Amino acid sequence: MNVPAVRLTEKMALTLAASLLAAAALLAPVAAAQASPASGSGQTVSASSHDRWLHVRVTNPGNNEETVRVNVPLELAEKVLPTINKNRLHSGKVRFDDVDCHGVDLHALVDAVRTSKDGEFVTVQSKDADVRVAKQNGYLFVHVFEKNRPKHSQVEVKVPMKVVDALFSGGKDELDIVAALHALSAQGDTELVSVKDEENTVRVWVDSKNVTD
Amino acid sequence: MILAKLALGFCGTVAVAGAYTFHEGVMRVDEDHYDGRHVHVWVPAAIVPMALHVVPSRRFERALEHAGPWLPTLRELTKQLKRYPEADFVEVQDGRQHVHIRTHQGKLLIDVTEPGETVHVACPLVMLEDIARELEAKSPAA
Repeated sequence: MNVPAVRLTEKMALTLAASLLAAAALLAPVAAAQASPASGSGQTVSASSHDRWLHVRVTNPGNNEETVRVNVPLELAEKVLPTINKNRLHSGKVRFDDVDCHGVDLHALVDAVRTSKDGEFVTVQSKDADVRVAKQNGYLFVHVFEKNRPKHSQVEVKVPMKVVDALFSGGKDELDIVAALHALSAQGDTELVSVKDEENTVRVWVDSKNVTD
Repeated sequence: MILAKLALGFCGTVAVAGAYTFHEGVMRVDEDHYDGRHVHVWVPAAIVPMALHVVPSRRFERALEHAGPWLPTLRELTKQLKRYPEADFVEVQDGRQHVHIRTHQGKLLIDVTEPGETVHVACPLVMLEDIARELEAKSPAA
């Protein structure tokens, strides 16, 4: 083989190798994405250690085949909610009117709770249900215990006062959901809602994990 | 020798074009029905926003009328979801019905399983964001 032919062959080989390398480099991530197995629930890892996640879990103790698991990053909710302008939700705020509150001035009520000392504000004990509303250590507690069911039902709500303040930090007739989420993300791990009745168990809580269990 | 050069150039171009086409991954929609119907669509993610770009705006008018107010939400949602490439968002199990929405390796995966019917959708988040941006640009409000 003469010299020009050898050079040409070398050039061709080089070009082919470069093309293949470029293609392989570009296709490698895609191939990896296609080949990897799907992840099951509970196998995922946290996106970032400082992310706060709101979790909702509904289970039926008598039936393992009925479950709802929702995991929402608070920051995602904070960013997405203001883009929704539908019905009463605008710019991350929900409007309400006097009819919704049956004439109760919610802002005045929250202000009264905020400025008062820790203690029980409402205690109702009847044959049907016990209700307790209290403020303690910077949290607002609502506890409802219903007795007149086949199996007693229990509702416990625990909301940081800072979140309540943020919720009512908007205008007179609106709830600032985004501000409340922001305040919630600054809190530590918190169990917000727990409902137990004869059929379902509902839990709503905030932590830094992106899985429920 | 010229033929060899041509073939090499063609192969190189095809390889690079293929690499570019698939660099954002593939959008997959798989539907299996109890009556034997199957729908399987695999589309390179890079092509979809490009296709939207060349389709005349009038073709989108009716769809944009309804979807228009939700496009900023879609864009922000996909932008935010990209920060969570590996996460479970929703899982609902009700008897034999199962719905699972999650992200995995930069794709939004939606799996719906019920007796006689399964639907699996895998959509690269980059593509969803590109689509939202493209549709927003086409919407009358833009």
